[in-house]
This record gives sequence, structure tokens and C-alpha cells, in this order.
Amino acid sequence: MTDLVTLTIDDRQVSVPKGTLVLDAAAKLGIEIPVFCSHPKLDPVACCRMCLVEISGPRGMMLQTACSVPVAQDMVVKTDTQQVKEVQEANLAFILLNHPLDCPICDKGGECPLQDQTMQFGPGLSQLVEPKRMKNKNYLISDTIVLDQERCVVCWRCIRYLEEWEDKPQLALFERGGKTIIDIQDGKPVDAKTSGNIIDICPVGALTNRVARFSYRPWEIERTPSICTQCSMGCNLRIDTRTHKLRRVIGRENMQVNDQWICDKGRFANAWVNDEGRLTMPLVRKNGELTPAPWSEALALVAEKLQALKQQHGANAIGAIGSAKLSNESNYLLQRFMRQLIGTNNIDHRDGGDVAALPTGMPALADVMKPQYGPDPKHDVIMLVGVDPSEEMPVLDVHLKRAVRRGKAQLVIVHPRQIELTRYNGPFLQANPGTETTLINGLLLALTVAKNDTTSEAHKLSAGASDRQVEQLCGVSMADVRKAADALAGAQNPLIIYGPMVARGELGAALRQALTNLALYLGKPENLAYIGLEANSQGCRDMGVLPDRLPGHAALDDRMASDLLGKLWGCALPVHPGKTYKQMLDAAGSEVKALYIMGANPASERPTWAENLDKLDFLVVQELFLTETAAKADVVLPAVSWAEQDGTFTNLERRVQRAPKALGNPQSKAAPDWMILDHLATYFDAQWGHASAQAVTAEIAQAAPIYNGLTWEALGDQGLQWSVADHSYVQPELSYARAVQPDLPKADGGLTLVSGTVLYDGGNLFGLTKQMKNMAFGAEVHLNPADGEKLGAGDGATVTVRSDYGALKLAVKFDATVKPGLAWIPESLPNAPVGALLNGNMVVQVVVG
Amino acid sequence: MMLSEPIRTEIKKWMDLYPAGRQRSAILPALYVIQREFGYCPVEAQNELAEMLEIEPAEVGGVVDFYHMLHTEPKGEYHVEVCTNVPCMLRGAGQCMHHFEEKLGIHHGETTADDKYSLDHMECLGSCGTAPMVSVTERKTGQIRYFEELDSAEDVQKVIDLVNSGKAFTTLERWTPEGDPKLTGKAAGPYRIGGMEERFLTARVGKKDSHKIATYIADGGYETAKRVLTTMKPEEVVEQVKASGIRGRGGAGFPTGMKWGFLAPAMPRYLVVNADESEPGTFKDRIIIEYDPHQLIEGIIMSAYAIKSELAFIYIRGEYYFGYTRLVEAVKEATKKGFLGEKIFGTDVNLRIVVHRGAGAYECGEETALLTSLEGYRGHPRMKPPFPAVEGLYAKPTIVNNVESIANVTHVMRHGVEWYRTFGTEKSPGMRIFCLSGNVKYPGLYELPHATPLRDLLFKYGGGPQHDEHPFKAIVPGGLSMKLLTADQLDTPLDYEAVQAAGSLLGSAGVIAIDNSQSMVKVARRTLSFYREESCGKCTPCREGTGWLEDILLRIEEGGGRVKDIDLMARITTFIAGKSFCPFGEASVWGLQSNLAKYRAEFEQYIALTNPEEAPPVIPIRPIYRPDAGKPSVATDSAFEIEGESPLNRDTPVLAVGD
Repeated sequence: MTDLVTLTIDDRQVSVPKGTLVLDAAAKLGIEIPVFCSHPKLDPVACCRMCLVEISGPRGMMLQTACSVPVAQDMVVKTDTQQVKEVQEANLAFILLNHPLDCPICDKGGECPLQDQTMQFGPGLSQLVEPKRMKNKNYLISDTIVLDQERCVVCWRCIRYLEEWEDKPQLALFERGGKTIIDIQDGKPVDAKTSGNIIDICPVGALTNRVARFSYRPWEIERTPSICTQCSMGCNLRIDTRTHKLRRVIGRENMQVNDQWICDKGRFANAWVNDEGRLTMPLVRKNGELTPAPWSEALALVAEKLQALKQQHGANAIGAIGSAKLSNESNYLLQRFMRQLIGTNNIDHRDGGDVAALPTGMPALADVMKPQYGPDPKHDVIMLVGVDPSEEMPVLDVHLKRAVRRGKAQLVIVHPRQIELTRYNGPFLQANPGTETTLINGLLLALTVAKNDTTSEAHKLSAGASDRQVEQLCGVSMADVRKAADALAGAQNPLIIYGPMVARGELGAALRQALTNLALYLGKPENLAYIGLEANSQGCRDMGVLPDRLPGHAALDDRMASDLLGKLWGCALPVHPGKTYKQMLDAAGSEVKALYIMGANPASERPTWAENLDKLDFLVVQELFLTETAAKADVVLPAVSWAEQDGTFTNLERRVQRAPKALGNPQSKAAPDWMILDHLATYFDAQWGHASAQAVTAEIAQAAPIYNGLTWEALGDQGLQWSVADHSYVQPELSYARAVQPDLPKADGGLTLVSGTVLYDGGNLFGLTKQMKNMAFGAEVHLNPADGEKLGAGDGATVTVRSDYGALKLAVKFDATVKPGLAWIPESLPNAPVGALLNGNMVVQVVVG
Repeated sequence: MMLSEPIRTEIKKWMDLYPAGRQRSAILPALYVIQREFGYCPVEAQNELAEMLEIEPAEVGGVVDFYHMLHTEPKGEYHVEVCTNVPCMLRGAGQCMHHFEEKLGIHHGETTADDKYSLDHMECLGSCGTAPMVSVTERKTGQIRYFEELDSAEDVQKVIDLVNSGKAFTTLERWTPEGDPKLTGKAAGPYRIGGMEERFLTARVGKKDSHKIATYIADGGYETAKRVLTTMKPEEVVEQVKASGIRGRGGAGFPTGMKWGFLAPAMPRYLVVNADESEPGTFKDRIIIEYDPHQLIEGIIMSAYAIKSELAFIYIRGEYYFGYTRLVEAVKEATKKGFLGEKIFGTDVNLRIVVHRGAGAYECGEETALLTSLEGYRGHPRMKPPFPAVEGLYAKPTIVNNVESIANVTHVMRHGVEWYRTFGTEKSPGMRIFCLSGNVKYPGLYELPHATPLRDLLFKYGGGPQHDEHPFKAIVPGGLSMKLLTADQLDTPLDYEAVQAAGSLLGSAGVIAIDNSQSMVKVARRTLSFYREESCGKCTPCREGTGWLEDILLRIEEGGGRVKDIDLMARITTFIAGKSFCPFGEASVWGLQSNLAKYRAEFEQYIALTNPEEAPPVIPIRPIYRPDAGKPSVATDSAFEIEGESPLNRDTPVLAVGD
């Protein structure tokens, strides 16, 4: 129990924990003290002087800043004296002195603390008869943020956010005295990936959102509390709409997820929602052309074709691909459709059944989702294996930076690239792609050696990973491995996080075992966590959008689960495991005759899959846009985005959160994904009868016991975690086993290809936010300058990157963070699918020329 | 790459001077290196420096912009800066500037077409006793030299001739026309020094080679430090200093020994000597640094020993380039003798002194701002608590003491507490170097015991009014920040208590005499110009208020004043004093407050004379999105008068003072 301190504020007593600031103690009594520089998420700086109140001290009552003075026992505070009021008026007069008062054209007008406080505490008139200072008014500090230096009141909030949370003080004070301005260094725009948060916390209209600029007035918008679906964090945000258009996205507080921060992709890259290129009518292929058709015709055709093909080739000739970008409701109904009405387990999603995921670490992940304010981190050592939070989930990146800087947590990083978080001096093991299993074995061996242990099972299992092997195969020095082993050996509560980059296929399965051995040896198997990258990666697993799992992670042969679902759905369930995402697409056109693809675009991933899709007898694609895959479909069913339909999403630490409908386009015939499936079921003579997404949510709570009680109403605005208790199938027993390094393709003098997700990928949807065009990765291959020079390819030169499977024309970019011998090509580059080179392989040698 | 290998090596050498992990502290020295190389600090070079220091480029940019002496655009080959602050203004700095403008053919703020000269206004350079004066910076070396006592157009011509002849930088010691009639560039030696019969702090000033260690040792120098380090415990030294009652000579007058007593137990600890002497009217530390640096170093050795610090910093203002070279030389000499370094005097005591140059920011004289600056940031003050003695430099216990305070330690330890207390009063013991400037016959430094009457200083030592026909009108007793005393307060004894009783503060003992030929409106305006220029910009009242006051004073000066402006200004000052983040805000308006209170009639007279109709000012505020932006508005300030009961008017008096 924290010590309580009792003090008197305006003759009223209040007890608050020791260390509370006077400002917050007053707020507890409902007493508002005006502030500009003070912000609950930032350290006090006491520079605006707005919160001066009289506080008792050794020299009697003195004016002091309520934002920086901690409470003391028997302290007396006066916030309503004549002196305090006069100072508040005077301070506002000072602040407004050179403020341009261009409220009529200011985006902040109507939700501006400066306006509000002027109204409440201001002097009501100006005495300034001198010229106002002129500064820059329309000034880009990045592609997405506009700075108006005249409106700025120099509260430092933006600088402090970038310093305290992002550890990237790319904004600074320039000049001094009355000329003081916030600015960037000439030619160095702000590129912190969560920089947009400074717009939310700016107490005036100095920082505005370039994407949303001048497109709304705060009093005219409708506000919908929602979540972001651009990565697996599930950051809480608010969607502001007006006249059926998304106008703006801002952060929303959830202390269990994102504090109140969101990343720039979530905030700015939303133009695709309003885009005119969205599908608004079902399309049916007639005479080779996709032609608009009414829903009844399109759905009848889908039902007819699928039933015919099932008759002809059997249920297993039909497959469905769900999407981790879509809600639990949509994905749940898709798998129900396949299992109940088609009768097959051919249901999966990208990074689903092909990935060696483990559900064990989710409870521990919740710890790193909470912002670090105090000194003690939940996890003193955090090991990232094949995860790059800066590119994959920037708000987690911010949390980790805080854990390192405030909590003194140590990071151990295993990644083929020198990712941003490696700047924190933690051991960085830059293992060559595909060699992670050997590396982790070597690390485990070093750990046992560090503990003078030569007898344990862990030691025996890892004994094969010799120093020579680690150094030669992985390209990592043993000194670094030992440093990492020392860090782990000294850890009280280490957390290991790995991601899909290293978890796919055969390599992934081996690594999962290696990591399991490590986690067991550390005594923390429950702290080994897998994280998916999409908004509903976890939800898709929970919903059973997997070829070998039913809703709630139950195995196909789980009697109780099958009975439950059989009763709920009124059918017998298929018992044979289905095909995975990769298997379905590989077999498309041969074994698999028809595919139902919802919100996925495999044609853009890999040329062979694009070809395979052409060979299908029947392809249905449910999409927002006419993607490469949709263009190949026989029937295209137009869906609406996450902002236009109700749905729930489950984030990486199993928090189920609502994303309610925020807007809708009355001109469009597109429909929510779950509704399309519900209607389609009627053409199979099944009456599911879901009147709303909430009804589906309720059914999920029945179908997946781990979701018991998670109704739409119960989830509220902050979401709930599903329960891990009493469901043994989400808490598998982990056990030691040998982790064998799979063979890798021979290095034949070429470079090893590294790919991976990047935030600004220039993909189909991202590209529609035109203001961010320059931020996206181009069609580039990043090479270490040494390699580039060896190859004779200069920086910026166009080269052909060739593998055994294909070739891409790309521009060379010299990048010292790329390890020599590697070539880095991010995923989802515009018109440069790296899948053409990988073709489903995890490790590929490429020749650059 | 803009920074060549040799430059990087040089910068790395600077970085090595600071404790491990604190390399950012080298940002100012590194920027000096860059500026010497390129003539300014190009953005590209700043960015490369950021990389070396492992910080963001914007952080370097912010630092460059904060410090006056760092330029983002090239200045001429010789950068002439005329001090026009009040002490110099009183003695004709305006004329001096005028002469330079005429002779160089440029306006201030400009550079000659041949890129040889840039001319600028400058704030106080610590040369008030030898006003008017200029500092000249040589671009290719970064060296700075003072040219003082430039009373006439001929004197100014001599400076220009000397610079043109290429002999201006043969030495960096100050130059005067009188000291170098043949224009060979030779040094003028120390400026006027006087006071009591036997002097201590200034005893050696004027002697040949007074700055050399041999001279100092011959005078018994370093004997005391040796005795203290070999025979006394650190705690005993603290006790002695406490008992002596030395009060800080920087301005606040806080007892030095008591400050030492607040140290938190954590290690390491740092001693930081505040040599950022920038208070207008103050130039006493300069003489110690330039002409007797070893008594300071001996003081540092004993003080560092007392507080158990093994690393001391001397933060010297960037403009004191000559003093800086003397300090560096003196530290070298002392190190060579084994008085600094490892195992001093054969004991287990270690001490290293780093001389750190500031780069032109008055605010850095405030102790927390000084520490922030020393850490490599913009010189903004920090929140107290924690006080530096608990969490100071690099968040470690730190003592910040003024140069003269530390020099006093040398004498207390040498002669004893009782001896020390024979000077001055019970509460203001010891002697003091009074800096006398302004309208007196003999401005200079006078070492006198505390409680010497102001009249004695002005008449006995200063020789009375500069011009006999113009008696004294006002006196600033402790540096420009302090409140004015009137001519009927000349019998005030110069000690902390008596000056406070007279309604001002002794401050840094910078006594500025103002005679009755001077306009108090101009004194007020120039004072506020200084504070507006030097406000760090951190807190609202000071950042906005000083500029507002200057604007009003400029308008009055230019003939647009209204009598109600006097009350308006008085009211504005009350919302800066005591409301700002650091004492700077307070200090910025004290002078004006006392000026308005004591010389109100003069302001009224000035307004009546220059704006007899009380013509209202034209409101120039125009939203810039208007097509005719920039044109004056037809509105006048009468539009701002309150009419009737507005719901917006709160029940407290507004800043408005109606007719």
C-alpha cells in the first residue's frame, strides 16, 4: 500500500498517494488548475507558468507551479486567491500576446485548450498595441505534420514526447528568448514512426495533421471509439467522420494497450477508406469480363458453383482463405461456412497453419503492452527473435524503449538486419537468415556453460552447436553470444518474443523447438511468446481459421469441442485436417478446384500462385478493391472496411476489442464480410439468422469456450482479454527435444535474401494516402556498401536481382545497417513482389547484377 | 563528408576531456572547432557532429541557435562587436558604434563588401571600466581580442588600422589606444585597479608576469593548498569556510560553506567554477582569471578537496578568450608542477580541471542553466529541487561557486578565519572587488572591505562624477539587474544587509554610476533590450514579457508613448517578477521597476515632450492571410477599451489602466 499524504486545497482536505503532484491532487477534488506544458504522460517542465498557485512552504504561502510540486503532509494550497487569478490572467495575456488568433482557420479551433482556458481564465481584453511577431505559419516538419510557429506557445510537449517516448528528439527549440521556435534541423524532417502523437498533445493549433487538414471542424464531426487494424497491437483510436467520409483518426487512451499513442500509419494512412476505387457492386465474370451484378445473382452463382464442384470433386477440392486483417466475426463465419456447409477443413489464412506459433506467452506479452512509467520493468531482459517492432508494430517499439530507458530493461536481439532497437547496447546477434536454430542452440550451450552446467538435458541437447558452427554458419561472434547468455543468465524474468519471419515452415518448427529448450532452461516456458503481425492474427487462430484447429484452439479430434460445435451448427464436422494456406495455393488448379478468398491477395505474393489461381475452376474473392487476386475471380463480392462495419479483433496479447461501424457509404452496395457470408449461407439452405455482428460475437462466445462472456456489451471501449484458465489446449506442455538445424541452400557466391515487413510498404492501401508517398519504400534492394562496390553496382543503380525462381528489377540502395553478404528487399513493395524471388522458401540465394 | 579526419581527431580529443558517456558536453568546443574551420557552423557539419556525439541533428541545431557566438551564416574575416549595454552606453558606446559604421561604411548587422568586417551590437563583454570598447573575432583562428577605451573617432580609426596592418592579433591581451601609440598591437596590461592599502585578491595584478606560476609561488602560492591537503581533513576545510562566512560573489550572496554542507553523499561529485561573468557592470572575475589565475586554481584545489571532488570544471564565458588562454596555460603549469593531476602533493588526492568555454548566453550564469549548458544542451535553467548539491552536473552532487568566491577560499585558508573576519561586517565578512563603471572619473576595480560607503567608492576611489557639471542621478549597486539607488542614498554602506535595507541588493558588486545628463528612459530601454535579448525563452512571463516591455519602451523612446504606458509597464513587471522559472525573470524587471518608481516624472516629461497629444499608437496587427497584409489597420487602441459589463470581464483588475 502506498503512503497517503493529506493536504488542504482551497480549504478542502484530500488524501493522495505520496509523490502525487499538486495538480493531480486538485483534480481529485474537481478543482481545475489550467496548464499548457504539463501533460499526464510527460515529465513536468514547469515552463508555461500557467499553473502557478499558492502553496505553503517554509517561507509562507508562495506561488509555485502545481504541475511540478509534489504533495506534502499538511500542505496548504490555494488556487482561487486574487493573486492566483491575476497571475492566470496575466499569463494568458502573455501567451496570447503574439498568438495570431487565427482561430477561424485553425484546425484546433473548437477543441483548443488555449481557447478554452482563455474563456475560463483569461483577461477578456488585450493591451497589446505593438506589432505581433511574425514567424513561419505553414511549415512542414514531415510529410504528415504541419507546423505553425506563430500559434506555438513553446510548451515543449512535442519535444518531450519525441524525447521521452520515441527517444528521437528530432524537434528542438531553436533561437532563443521571444524568438524561440520549435523546429527541425534543416533538411532533417521528423521520421519517428509515432510522430503524429505530437498533434494530439499539442495544446494549440501549432501542429496539425496534414492529411486531415481543413477537412473538418471539431463540432461537426461524429466520433467513434475504435481500434486500429494495421498491425497486431490493436491500438485504441477514434475515428472522426462527417458526411459519410472518414475525416481524421486520433489516438484514444487504453493503458493496457497503447497508453494513448498510435503510430503514423494508423493515424495518417487511411485514405483508402474514402477511396473512389472501392468496389461498390458485386462483379460476375461474363464472357471473360467482370460485370456488375445484383447480390442475388452473385451469391446464387457462388452457391451453385461451389455445390456443383463439391458434387463433382468432393468437399476437399474446395478451400477458403480467411484474413487476419478482418474481424473475428467475419473469420468465424468463413470457417463455419467451410466446415458446416462445404464440409472441409481447408480453411487457413496467411501465416496461419504454416507458422510454428505457440499460444503460451500471451499472458506475459500483456506486461510489455503497459507503458513504463516507474523504474521497475516487468521483464528485465527482453529477447526479440526475428521481430522488428519499429517496422512491424511501432507502439510496441515505444513501449520497449520506455522499458529500456525508464525500467533499465535489457534487450537481446536476434535479427538478420540491424534493426532500430539495436541502438540500445543490448547484445545483438545478427544471425544469417535461416540459421537461427543453430544460434539459439549455441546460445543455450553458452548459457549452460556460463552456469557451469554440463549435465542437464539442455546442455546435452545443445552440445552439438559448436563455436565454430555458430561463427561460420550464423556469422555471429561467440563473444556476442556469450554476452547474450550472460544477460539471460542474470535475468529474473526474461521474455522471449519471436515472430513469423523466423517461424514459417520447416525452419520455423526447428526454431520453435530451440526456443522452447531455451525457455525451459530459463525456467520460464510461459514467457515464450509468438506474435503475429496482422490486426487479427491472434483472432484468426482463436476462431479456428486453421486447417487443424477448431474455434478456441481445439484439436479436430477433440470430442467435447466437436460435439459442442456440431450441436451449435447442427451438423457433423469434417475430421481430416485440411490444407494450409500455402498448400491450398500450391494445389490450386490441381487438387483444389475452387477457392473462396476473403480479404487476401496471394496473387501479389508469388507469381506461381497467380498462375495457379488462373487454373481454378471457380474463384470467389471478397474484397474492398479489385486487387490482383480479385481481378482473377469469377465472382467478386464487395466488402466494406473495418471502419464501416461492426467487428471485434483480438490483438497479440489476446485482448478482444470492438471496432464499431463509424461510417457508411450510402451509394455503395458493398456489405460487411460477416453479412455476405450469412446471406451466402441461405443459398445453402442454412438459416444462420445473424441479425448483426453482435449476434455473431455472441455465437463465438459459445463456440469458443475461451471467449465465454466476451459479448459486445461486455467488451466495452477498452476490450477484454480472453481467459487462459481452464483451457489446457491453449497452455500446451512444453518439453525438451533436439532442435535440428534444417539444411540451407548453398551459398554460391551470391547474397542471401532477407525480407520482412516494413511500416511504410508502399502497398496497395498505403499508396492511396498520397501525402505519404515519399515515405514509402521504393522498389529497392538494400545492400551493404561493401557488397555494392564489390558488385560494381553504385548507389541508385538499377540492377536485376535473380534467384532460382525469378527476377526483379530494383534500384540499389547502400545501407550500412545491412550485413555484408545479405540483400534486403522488404515485403509488399509496389510492383516488386519479393515473393517472386522467394517462391515460398525462407532462405534464398540471389545474384545481383 | 564535411568534417575531415584531422578535425574529427581534434573533436574526439575534446570529447575525451569529459567523463565517459558524457561526450555530449564537448558540443560547444566541437562547434568552435567547426566554426574556426568553416567560418560558421554549416548544417552538414552540425549533422556530422551529431553523429559523432550520438545525438539527433536537431539537438545540435538547437544548441547552435541558442548561443550567440555560434553562427549559422558566415561573418566577415574580422567580426567587430561593439558593446552597447548600459555601462558602455553611459560612456559613449553609441558614438563608438557610429564611428565604426562610418569608417567601415556599413550599418550594424552588416558585412563589408570585401568580406573583411562584420559589425554588430553586443551585450556586456565584462569591460565596463574601460568603456567604450569592442571585441574583434578573427574568423580564421577563432581568436578574440578586446579593444578598449575607444573614446573618439581617432581611436576607432586606430583599431581599424591595426587590424588592417595584420598586427591586431600578435597578442590577445587587451589593447588601448593609449597603451599602443605606435600601433604595433602590443598589450595594454591590466586595467585600473585600486582600493585598500594592502590588497589580497588583486595583490599581484600589475606585477610583471603576475599570471605565471613562478610569480605566484614566489608569493607563497600553493603552500596553503599543500598544507591543507597534507594536514587537514576535508570536513575541517568545510568547517573553516563555513566559519569564515564567505558569501557567494556571483550575485545571490548565499554562504559558500553552507552550500557545501548540502552535498548529497553520492559519488562522484563535481566542482564547477562559475566564470560566466556576464552581469552588466561586472568585470572582477576577469581580472583574477587574466592576471592571477593561480590563486583561483589554488582555491579550486582546496575546495575540491573539501567536497571530495576529483574533477572540477571552470565554465568561462566564451567572450573571455584571453582569460581562457591564461587559464588553460595556468592549469598546464600547475599540472606540470604536480599541483593538479594524480596524487597531488604526494597525497592520495587526485584532481583534474577542465576549462570549458561557453558561447555567449547570459542565462548560463544561472547555476542550473550553466550545468545544462555544460552537459551540452541549450542553456535552460532546471527545476529546483533537486538542487545541484544533490543532483547537479550529470545528476551527481555538484557545487557551483563563483570565481571570486573560490579565490576567497584561498585567502581564508591562507590567513585564517579570524583574519578574514576582520574585514567587513558580521554578516558580510571579508573584502570585495567592487566594479565601478559609468559616469565616474576613474572607473575600475577597487578591492575594499564590505561596508565601505558607496560615497567613498564613488568619490574617494572613482574621483566623483565624470563631468563635474553633471552630478550623479542614479546608482546601480550590484550589477544591472539590481534596483536603482538615488543620489540621496550615497551614504549606503556596501554590504549585503545595508544595500538590501536601501531597497536594492549588492549582487555582483557591479556599481554603475549614472549622471544627470543621462535619460532614464534610454537606460530603461537599453536595460530591457538586454533582458529581451538574453531571455532563454523557457518560461512564458520572461519570454513574452521582456519583449513586450522593450516594445513599449521603444515606442516611448521613438515618440509614441502614452502616460498610461507607465502604469501598464509597472503592472507587466509584477507578472514577470516572482512568476518566472528562474531568478532571471525577477532580475530582468527590478531595474525597470525602481526606475519607474523613482524617476516617473522623467518618463512623464519625456512623453509630454515627444507625444504631447498622446496620439494613440496605430495597431499594426494584421492577419497575414489578408490580401493587404502588412498595411496598418485603421483600428486604434481605443478599440480595446472595455465598454459596459462584459461577461468576459472577470472580477479581478485587468491589465488595462483606463484613462
